[in-house]
Amino acid sequence: MTGKELQRKRLQKFIQERDVLHAMVEAFTKSPTAEEKLYRMLTEVYVDHHNEIIRCVEEDKPFIASYFACAPEIYTAMNLPWYTFLTPAFTGAISEPVLEAEIDASEKLFGKDFCTILRIAGYYIEQDLAPIPTAIIALLHPCDGTTVLHQIIQTNEEWRNVPMFAADPPYWEDERSIDYYAGELKRMVSFLEEHTGHRLDMDRLQEAIKESNKQYELWMEYNELRRAVPCPHGYGVGMQAFGVAESFIVGAPKGTEWFKVLLADAEKLVREGKGKVANERIRLLWFDVVSLGWCFDLFPWLEEEWGAVIVMDMFGYTPYTLIDTSTEDSMFKGLAKRALFDVPMVRQARGVADNFLSDIRRIVKDYKIDCVVWPGHMGHKDGAAAIGMMRDTCREIGVPFLHIGLDLFDKRYTTVEEIKDKFSKFFTAMGLG
Amino acid sequence: MDAVPRRTETKREEKNGVIVGGCDIGSATGKAVVMKDGEIVSYVIIPSTTKPEVTARTAMDEAIKKAGLSALEDLGYIVGTGYGRLKVPFANENISEITCHAQGAHWLCPTVRTVIDIGGQDCKVMSLDDKGKVIEFVMNDRCAAGTGRFFEAMARTLDCGLEGLSLLSLQAKRPAAITSQCSVFAESEVITLVNEGIDLEDIAAGLHNSIAGRLISMVRKVGLTEDVALTGGCAKNEGLVKALEEKLGVRVKKLPVDPQIVGAVGAALIAAKRLSRQS
Amino acid sequence: METKTRSKTLKEFIEAAETLVNPEIHRWKKQGGKVVGYFCSYGPKEIITAADLLPFRMRATGSTGTELADAYLDSINCSFCRHCFNLGLRGEYDFIDGAVWLNTCDHVRRVYDNWKRYVKTPLVHILSLPKKMGQPQVEWYRGELTMFKERLEKHFAVEITDERLWEAIKLHNQTRRLQRRLYDLRKRQNPPITGAETMAVMVAGTAMPNAQYNELLRQLLDEISNVEGNVDYRARLMIVGAILDDPAYVEVIESQGGLVVTDMLCFGTRIMWKDVDEGAGDPIAALAQYYVAERPSCPRMFGDYPRRAGFIRDMIREFKVDGIIGERMLFCDNWTAEHFMMGKEFKAAGIPYLTLDREYLLAGVGQLRTRVQAFLETMGR
Repeated sequence: MTGKELQRKRLQKFIQERDVLHAMVEAFTKSPTAEEKLYRMLTEVYVDHHNEIIRCVEEDKPFIASYFACAPEIYTAMNLPWYTFLTPAFTGAISEPVLEAEIDASEKLFGKDFCTILRIAGYYIEQDLAPIPTAIIALLHPCDGTTVLHQIIQTNEEWRNVPMFAADPPYWEDERSIDYYAGELKRMVSFLEEHTGHRLDMDRLQEAIKESNKQYELWMEYNELRRAVPCPHGYGVGMQAFGVAESFIVGAPKGTEWFKVLLADAEKLVREGKGKVANERIRLLWFDVVSLGWCFDLFPWLEEEWGAVIVMDMFGYTPYTLIDTSTEDSMFKGLAKRALFDVPMVRQARGVADNFLSDIRRIVKDYKIDCVVWPGHMGHKDGAAAIGMMRDTCREIGVPFLHIGLDLFDKRYTTVEEIKDKFSKFFTAMGLG
Repeated sequence: MDAVPRRTETKREEKNGVIVGGCDIGSATGKAVVMKDGEIVSYVIIPSTTKPEVTARTAMDEAIKKAGLSALEDLGYIVGTGYGRLKVPFANENISEITCHAQGAHWLCPTVRTVIDIGGQDCKVMSLDDKGKVIEFVMNDRCAAGTGRFFEAMARTLDCGLEGLSLLSLQAKRPAAITSQCSVFAESEVITLVNEGIDLEDIAAGLHNSIAGRLISMVRKVGLTEDVALTGGCAKNEGLVKALEEKLGVRVKKLPVDPQIVGAVGAALIAAKRLSRQS
Repeated sequence: METKTRSKTLKEFIEAAETLVNPEIHRWKKQGGKVVGYFCSYGPKEIITAADLLPFRMRATGSTGTELADAYLDSINCSFCRHCFNLGLRGEYDFIDGAVWLNTCDHVRRVYDNWKRYVKTPLVHILSLPKKMGQPQVEWYRGELTMFKERLEKHFAVEITDERLWEAIKLHNQTRRLQRRLYDLRKRQNPPITGAETMAVMVAGTAMPNAQYNELLRQLLDEISNVEGNVDYRARLMIVGAILDDPAYVEVIESQGGLVVTDMLCFGTRIMWKDVDEGAGDPIAALAQYYVAERPSCPRMFGDYPRRAGFIRDMIREFKVDGIIGERMLFCDNWTAEHFMMGKEFKAAGIPYLTLDREYLLAGVGQLRTRVQAFLETMGR
């Protein structure tokens, strides 16, 4: 295969992903509801983002691969487009047979108990299905799988020549840890400047963080409205808020606009006493990703059949910490703290188990939760080892705890029917709904 | 199997001539119970057919005949229950099997506080309060054996039949340690042990211990409070009961009926409550 | 296990490996000594020794089930962790006076969280071990070790002086040297000790006072250095993996005619192939440097794969290894990736590589034998 042909092969899936997102935009444009208008706004941005990466590849301009947990405000400030290896498992839900075939193929490489989303990422890289970036920022937490995925990438024949930097995560979140991680982020910046030729302008960083701060503030206001009974919005919005504030368009004014529209809609609904579900009977905490595939069957069913609303989910719950933008030092410390302590899933899973438990207590209280659900995704080995503690915490605060055991991206692991059955049995047994 | 147990409570809330039916359709068997004035007058257990409506109807008809009645209409109220979202078509109402099991177990033995339901498909453990209401509830995780299917598969491997498997386990001198949680792996472990010349009794006991162990973990999640009762088809497996008692460190309270019909009894009880509310 | 090698000393090692609390530990406790467990080969045993405490590498030898642990951990968690925690819940770890974990992996770090809440060990601690091996990381870990040292001092009312630390480091280095000498004997055409027996020796080294252990090991070396050795084997094997502590497992592997001559394991070369630098200025700094940057790493350390692969290549050459058997505990993500990379690399280089998934308790022995037998056959041996 020629260089050009290989490049095209690598872009193939990415282009398909863009087309899928584009089709979703078309679908949402037809719908009149406010919630779907927000979906459309977000998806349009994702399409633009994908187009930008494709342009970078074709025009040989610098772009990187990274994650929401590595201070993406910096990439915005450095004008560096970035993508993540983890989207294929998400967007793949649009075409389940294709995704399932890829999951099966990835099993031959990495076995059955490696997290599906990481397996797919590794598979794409081994099979030349991901665009090769100028540089990679690797993530070494919250889980083992993430760390070793990047080791696999580093040993791959094609990818080993791509410069890679990983910030080393401390296990704590105290002053000493934040200082340490801020140091790592500074080293990350030097690395990026060296390998992409883009420079970090402190004014630009200040701008990006200020805008990002605004978004977090609006997000917190929005979350306050979700405490209302009935909850104004349903299951999809938390993930979207996360997407806007923490991935791809971090610190962009478009994002702030999106939050304003979101907030206005929620305010209106709460004033009118309107909920996502007309007869809201059960308020759930879904303590994990709200993955796309389940949005087509399970989550709507919960709402229709049981009046069960996911009032809060892990990715919709990001505590708000204003980053002090007065000095370079305060900005890096603020970004370090945000990366360790505020971003979802990383926040709970990377350190001691206490964050799982304190979050459960907080969320149950603030959002009047009737039932805590630990979906039990097969990739979360550390979360799995915390279910006893989670159950005990829920027992203490008097709220039912349901552990399902599923694969967020593969419905064959535990089928929708099996999950619905578990929910029904559980709700009935606990006298909910 | 044909004994007609009597209720032990003194309180009688049913009026004279209250005849109701409870119908519990499971993956392996269909159960039906007829109760009159708060007493069980008949019950049947039949193997499930491929059509649940047919199973339900057949079981109910047989129970009615056994009760000395002639038609479905003789029953004032029928409550159906069963696995999944299955509904018994001729029932006045369908209630979840959890509620039915809890009600049934509590009525049969009011001191019961922990119920372990071991069915054909899955296992459930629930803790009850003194009124028979469910406090906590745990289901098996996805890779569970510990059900009728598992024992059937093992009985086939050892070529001894289900009852044979249970009897063998009771005669074990040194139960083998079977560590696999999955029935597929357990089967290969069993074959290895057979080839090594380990006594079948010890293998059978090992299997029962392994399943009992898994059930115990579920009980610990809910919290062990006596009295403990077993329901579901597998509760008739003496070998399993023995293994459970050893691991729990408590004696299991034997219910005064076939443990397999507890769900149907609970359904019938709820039917009676509905009927008395109506009149 | 049965021992092929005619050595009295070996029986003592085997006993220490096959029990959780061996006579040496009983003796230590009777004399008023205290024991601090550590839950990973990265545990800073030198600091524990320097406090006049006995470091004990925690494992689940003798465990028969996980019924208690299964109420807290899940079926998708590492069975080694489940069994250890189960022993803790059963009170079998009441003999330890403290324990230290590291954030080694997702399963291990959560054992700390659960143990802290549900097992009554007087002192529990967890160390934040970096995932990279550069100088900033060594500095970070120096801070962690210092905090751990201070905590031990306070809790056990001892002073851990630099002098005592150096003594401890020298003592543990001596153990390492003796263990390397043992492995040297296995480079021979006719090794005087089997892989299973070696495993027992290595496990025992984590379960008794080092002074005693070193004495016994010297004795063993004397006994077997000039012995005939094993000649009737069909292939020289290397075991690569993690938390293998069961000589019986190695015995099964060796039952098909292959002889295990070396390894890269937590109870193997990883803990003794390199020494802590005795010439460094500050003992805590020396320990931080050793654990983070020098000792053969575990796959949880990012970026060090090339060095680990190089280590195996050196082993293959020095020990004349014919084939590699990689073992992995089910649900271990670190070793999924490691065996994937190693398998690819070594197979491409013509070195046979077999990956075996396992659980902590030895089961399915028949299947294991068959697989190893088939592997040896495909190796043409």
